[in-house]
Amino acid sequence: MTVADTKFFAQGNVYLPHIAVIEKIVEETPGVRTYHFNFKDEKLRKEFTFQSGQFAQYSVLGTGEATFCISSSPTRRDHLEFAVQRVGKVTNALNRLGVGAEIGFRGPYGNSFPIDFLKGKNLVFIGGGIGLAPLRSLIWNVIDNRDKYKKIDIFYGARTPTDLCFKYDLEAWDKDKTVNMVTTVDRGDDSWKGKVGLVPKILEEVAPSAKETVAIVCGPPIMIRFTFPALEKLGFKPEQTLTTLEKRMKCGIGKCGRCNIGNLYVCRDGPVFSYAQIKDFVSSEY
Amino acid sequence: MANKKVNKKDITGLLKEWGQQFAVFAPSRESGVAAMAEWDGKDTSFLDWYRNTVVPPKASFLPPMEEMFRFQKGKEGYNIAPPPKAERSQLLFDVRPCDARAMAILDMTFEQALEDPYYLSKRKSAILVGLGCTNPCESCFCTSMGVSPAESADVDLMLIDIGDDFLVEEVTAKGKELISKTSGLKEATKEDEAKAKQARKASYDKVTRKLDTGGIKDKLLASFDDEEFWEKVAAKCISCGICTLLCPTCYCFDINDELVKQEGTRFRSWDSCGFPNYTKMPMENPRQEKWRRVRQKVCHKYEFYPMTFNVIACTGCGRCIRLCPVNWDITQVIESVPARTEAKK
Ligand SMILES: Cc1cc2nc3c(=O)[nH]c(=O)nc-3n(C[C@H](O)[C@H](O)[C@H](O)COP(=O)(O)OP(=O)(O)OC[C@H]3O[C@@H](n4cnc5c(N)ncnc54)[C@H](O)[C@@H]3O)c2cc1C
Ligand code: SF4
Ligand code: SF4
Ligand code: FES
Repeated sequence: MTVADTKFFAQGNVYLPHIAVIEKIVEETPGVRTYHFNFKDEKLRKEFTFQSGQFAQYSVLGTGEATFCISSSPTRRDHLEFAVQRVGKVTNALNRLGVGAEIGFRGPYGNSFPIDFLKGKNLVFIGGGIGLAPLRSLIWNVIDNRDKYKKIDIFYGARTPTDLCFKYDLEAWDKDKTVNMVTTVDRGDDSWKGKVGLVPKILEEVAPSAKETVAIVCGPPIMIRFTFPALEKLGFKPEQTLTTLEKRMKCGIGKCGRCNIGNLYVCRDGPVFSYAQIKDFVSSEY
Repeated sequence: MANKKVNKKDITGLLKEWGQQFAVFAPSRESGVAAMAEWDGKDTSFLDWYRNTVVPPKASFLPPMEEMFRFQKGKEGYNIAPPPKAERSQLLFDVRPCDARAMAILDMTFEQALEDPYYLSKRKSAILVGLGCTNPCESCFCTSMGVSPAESADVDLMLIDIGDDFLVEEVTAKGKELISKTSGLKEATKEDEAKAKQARKASYDKVTRKLDTGGIKDKLLASFDDEEFWEKVAAKCISCGICTLLCPTCYCFDINDELVKQEGTRFRSWDSCGFPNYTKMPMENPRQEKWRRVRQKVCHKYEFYPMTFNVIACTGCGRCIRLCPVNWDITQVIESVPARTEAKK
């Protein structure tokens, strides 16, 4: 588990952003967009590396910075992606930008999904809403190295069919015979043919085996809180359950004090944690 | 190694000499409250009134507000430039041992993993000249936190009041080097050393407030979910943030942008875990309730910092006790943590 590599510092200063250019904007849902981008600097564009699960601080200069995971896979590197739910100052400012606009980027920060630990195991991905963004990086990473993993289940839920993010991915995984894709919504509509119900409930219904399996959970805190007990019921031990946490962040590197959960800083020690690591504090701090 | 001494009347000359090489900072009440401020070249009245600053000297390395970089939008896109480095290093004169220790504690965070260039560039180039306390406050409890009011290993030079003179101890190699280039100092005699020894002990004995921190990390962990206890602890707090902003070991900061036409700055500013917006997320806030924020402040210092760095992030400087508008008292809180061994759920 590493913190960011100093080799990607702009001008040798961890707080200075690199300039990146938006290349494409994908409308995911009415409140969520995916931005495809590349660094302005030719050399950095070639050399930049990251791992699934890492995040970065993105700026709209003059408005401020916000934290988003890198939602694309390191196995697909002609550009980078991040997905944004519009909720406040920076996310709305991003929404006003078009293709060709310049943004600030510093990162990659945080640890990443423990690929070596996952290899050779069954994987159960559990995502809710925009929480699919970091999972998506790992899912494509795993699918691009399919022979290294065993069974793959993906559970994904959103409030309504319109709120489903990355529909093009959901379709692709649904078609992929080597992957079991379960999509659910809290409330269906006339044309919805998939499952209806909250993710933890559907998870218990389908009941994937915990044997030699790792569950990877990412979604809104409320979903995470109910999914942990559901997994425990299915026999998943705290060490077998991974999650990525979200806290308000500023520095992204363990200095500004903001993102702690107990003695851990989500930016410095996470954002990927096993349930075993955060059990003591998660009940009342998340 | 023989220590030096300097006559109190010669302090002006000493600071003037150091001022040729350094930006000298000394206690001042110019801003309305006692704080380290750039020395005006003449006033040494602080030697009479100074007990400790209200604003801790961390402000010299982590200023309340600090520019991180400027940016400009031109035809070719954005241009980003860090602020120019200060021309001269700082020399802080009359730092208290508790605050010097506090900065050593802050270093752990700013040096860990990715280094913080703003803090460290100022900190590493600075000289700290300590001054032993002769008159500790009632709220001080440094001796319970491993600090002695007239001794310090966390400064470069240490001054001790021995009557007409200050004994000048060379604590670090950096301090020794500065002394070797400083004129007007006399060799300290055996009697001077004996007086200093007495002064150290006298100061130590003057700190009457005591705190037992034995097993505190585990006690806090076991009481983490004891909502009733924390509600009681937090009851009178008004979330003003003073106890954190002015705590010498607190380092929380916020980052914001300011834009005027096409030119902007990104700056950071002190922040406090006592403020409800501090952790506010778009969908929810994990510390909306006051007791959760007070718990964070206490546990960060006495539980989390020890878990990460093996040291309690409190030096007993007493500021949070002296300055709290509602007399919240960290020593009472720490003493009241239940001594349980099983976690309360
Ligand atoms: C590791 C990590 C990864 C993340 N990944 C993603 C991702 O991939 N995609 C994604 O969309 N999000 C992600 N997030 C969440 C994202 O960082 C936030 O949604 C984003 O920072 C919001 O920024 P903003 O400036 O738009 O919102 P802000 O305007 O800063 O605040 C959002 C909300 O907080 C409240 N608020 C803020 N400041 C105040 C105040 N002073 N007073 C009162 N209320 C206030 C407001 O209600 C506001 O609506 C991630 C977060 C983390 C920590
Ligand atoms: S100084 Fe006192 S009132 Fe203010 S936040 Fe601290 S404990 Fe609460
Ligand atoms: S917690 Fe209070 S006594 Fe301890 S270092 Fe901070 S301000 Fe001083
Ligand atoms: S975001 Fe600053 S400490 Fe984690």
